[in-house]
Amino acid sequence: MQIEASEVLWFEQHVLTLPELAELSGLPTAMLQELFDWGAITPLEHGTHEIRFGASALRSARSARRLQADFELDLQGVAVALRLLERIGELEAQLQALRARLPQQAPAGLELGRS
Amino acid sequence: MKYKDYYAALGIARGASDDDIKKAYRRLARKYHPDVSKEAGAEEKFKDVAEAYQTLKDPQKRAAYDQLGSHAPGQEFEPPPNWQQQYSEAPFAPEDLDLGDLFAHLRGASAAGGGPAGARRARRSLPGQDYEIAVSISVEEAFHGTQINLDLNMPEYDAQGGLRRVPHTVRARIPKGATDGQRLRLPGKGGKGFNGGRDGDLYLNISLRAHPLYRADGHDLYLDLPLAPWEAVLGTSVEVPTPAGAVRLKVPPGTQAGRQLRPAQRGLPKPREGQGDLYAIVQIAVPAKVGDAERELYQRLAQTSAFDPRGHFVESGHAN
Repeated sequence: MQIEASEVLWFEQHVLTLPELAELSGLPTAMLQELFDWGAITPLEHGTHEIRFGASALRSARSARRLQADFELDLQGVAVALRLLERIGELEAQLQALRARLPQQAPAGLELGRS
Repeated sequence: MKYKDYYAALGIARGASDDDIKKAYRRLARKYHPDVSKEAGAEEKFKDVAEAYQTLKDPQKRAAYDQLGSHAPGQEFEPPPNWQQQYSEAPFAPEDLDLGDLFAHLRGASAAGGGPAGARRARRSLPGQDYEIAVSISVEEAFHGTQINLDLNMPEYDAQGGLRRVPHTVRARIPKGATDGQRLRLPGKGGKGFNGGRDGDLYLNISLRAHPLYRADGHDLYLDLPLAPWEAVLGTSVEVPTPAGAVRLKVPPGTQAGRQLRPAQRGLPKPREGQGDLYAIVQIAVPAKVGDAERELYQRLAQTSAFDPRGHFVESGHAN
């Protein structure tokens, strides 16, 4: 079977205009604009020139499309769900950071308390 | 073509009402939706549930599905004669086809009256589907970068607008610096677009496999460093493993348990530049058994030492 080599892009390296975000997420620009107005999708920076979106916006927009299609949510529901998912993501990252710093119970190879 | 039991996927009887179908779907979607659920295998389960719902919620597709009869899940079967002409909008070869792909492209009730869908499709371009795949790599692979082969089996349109499953393999280089929670995008490696539609993308969601020594937080690694009591008191120099090979680490005299010693820049490399750190967390390890001579030394130490590790209990007035 033929093996195709593929270009690989870091998710984080994406810097997208609104139409590009629409193409990659599969959501119409009007809907993205509305989610953006509600603060559910945040741009990289607010500037005087065209708004650019990064990885977190792409992640949110792709989630939004799935949530909307699979749960038949209206946009406000999508915006609330996105905010909660983002919050859960932050908490999970904190949990992982704390777990990494927590010593494991017993040093490997030592059977404590079993003499 | 392999049979799938869509009623069983939703946990409902064949005669279930539209309302029951919707309720069952909603309940299972809340449980298994990949954006919401953290249950193991949730994504696969949700795919089955969604596929079943997409077919059964549409009266026309449901009628077409019911006419296929009832078979054991996974059993090879062929649609009854005339079924294809009656329901399908484009020719298909049943042996190459997944039941879900077939129903996704059948003419549904909402499209009824619009003429043969094959004709519509010939004029319209359709973007290919995006896919997300979970890829787990070891800490060592994250450190050095790695190459993986993804065996994919995606539906593609042929020149006539018919659908078939085309197995193929995509080789992707996972660059060094990919770590837990990171995503990579393989542009154009998702489902093929039709009639000029853009090819879909493939997204890889990276996770790190648990490692016997290291625990990762982003690009930083944490490692337990057990020390004997005398090593912690007197100080020493120890060899510590890192993904790039062992390094010597100086343990200063009087090192307390929980202290983090950090050989700089020994964590995982970051995508473009820089490197995370490795933190060795000191633990004081105590032998489970001691010999007579050793015990005697500890006893002498106990008699000689003026060290009181719980002095602060008394000072703060919470003891005695």
